Amino acid sequence: MSIFAVNYLCREVLRDHAFRAAMKADPAKALAPLDLTGEERSALIAGDVGTLFRMGANGFLMGYLARFEVCGLNVETYNQRMRAVKVDEIGRPVS
Amino acid sequence: MARIVAGFGVPHTPIFPHFVKRDGPDCEIARLFGAQQQELAATRPDLIVMFDTDHLNTFFLNDLPIFAVGIDDSFKAPNDEPRDVPNYTVKSHAGLAAHIRAAAIGAGYDVGMTQNYSVDHSITVPLHFLTPQMQLPVIPFFISGHLPPLPKAERCHALGQAVARAIESWPENLRVVVIGSGSFSLEVGGPRMAPGRSDGVPDPDWAARVIKLMEQQQIDALIAQSTEHQMLKAGNVGGEILNWIAMLGAIGDRKPNYVAPQMQNGHAYGVWRWN
Repeated sequence: MSIFAVNYLCREVLRDHAFRAAMKADPAKALAPLDLTGEERSALIAGDVGTLFRMGANGFLMGYLARFEVCGLNVETYNQRMRAVKVDEIGRPVS
Repeated sequence: MARIVAGFGVPHTPIFPHFVKRDGPDCEIARLFGAQQQELAATRPDLIVMFDTDHLNTFFLNDLPIFAVGIDDSFKAPNDEPRDVPNYTVKSHAGLAAHIRAAAIGAGYDVGMTQNYSVDHSITVPLHFLTPQMQLPVIPFFISGHLPPLPKAERCHALGQAVARAIESWPENLRVVVIGSGSFSLEVGGPRMAPGRSDGVPDPDWAARVIKLMEQQQIDALIAQSTEHQMLKAGNVGGEILNWIAMLGAIGDRKPNYVAPQMQNGHAYGVWRWN
């Protein structure tokens, strides 16, 4: 259940201003101590929110990554990457 | 005895305080909230009970109740940095909050609780516009409306009725206003956002239907149509309609004074006054 760790760190970007600054400066370094899978870590560093959403990360928690512009994201790139995820009628990702 | 004197339905879009600061008192948001502020003042309220869905800020994925009441003498707001919103300390009423929880549990609703807590924009933004002096005590009643499985609409409506009975059995002479906070159709940060935005309205037809059913006082139809599928189809925060439905349960079967739509946001501003 390390997707919990992804969701949690997204909220920490909101709450912990030192972590927010560290994520803005060097996401790989800031994420290094956290218990993440290799896939989660690489998707976060790449700002690949679409992949993270398909893995179960929460949309409005990941929105903090765009709002505070970490992992190379901003509102525009976040919007494009998330909108590229195909979903069913109730918003669940489909392959 | 305490009694319920009005019901309100409100949006809580976190960027609205910034828009009002930027665009001034004549903008649509300021006018719609301003009209509600006047209606609220005219009810001469002593206390607010607000049904609300927390956005994983008061609670989180490690500890997520379906229903919960905030029980303390005050709470901090907001805890999620909405732009141009000051830090408030909001009075509450621990005695009545505990009484509401106990009565709801006695009626068969297993309601959790939180103490020494803070709330996010979903409570703070409406209060920022409706009671900017934070002069009224507020009791938050949290309903899990974002992460499925969602509680059923009929249960939230009946829960609202149970909360009303609890309020009306409280011995203090208080005029209580019940508020439901949230959207009818909205996707925040998910794949159904509108292009270039951080949100979108996936099901505007549903939002329009909700407003019509409230205006026509067809609450049974509203409850029947507010299935989990419909709420999720309306967006990842579409379950926030449960807060309005609980409010409608609390105030009883009444016709609204008005339900003013803001269709570009998938929500409305509703007022039910009778006293």
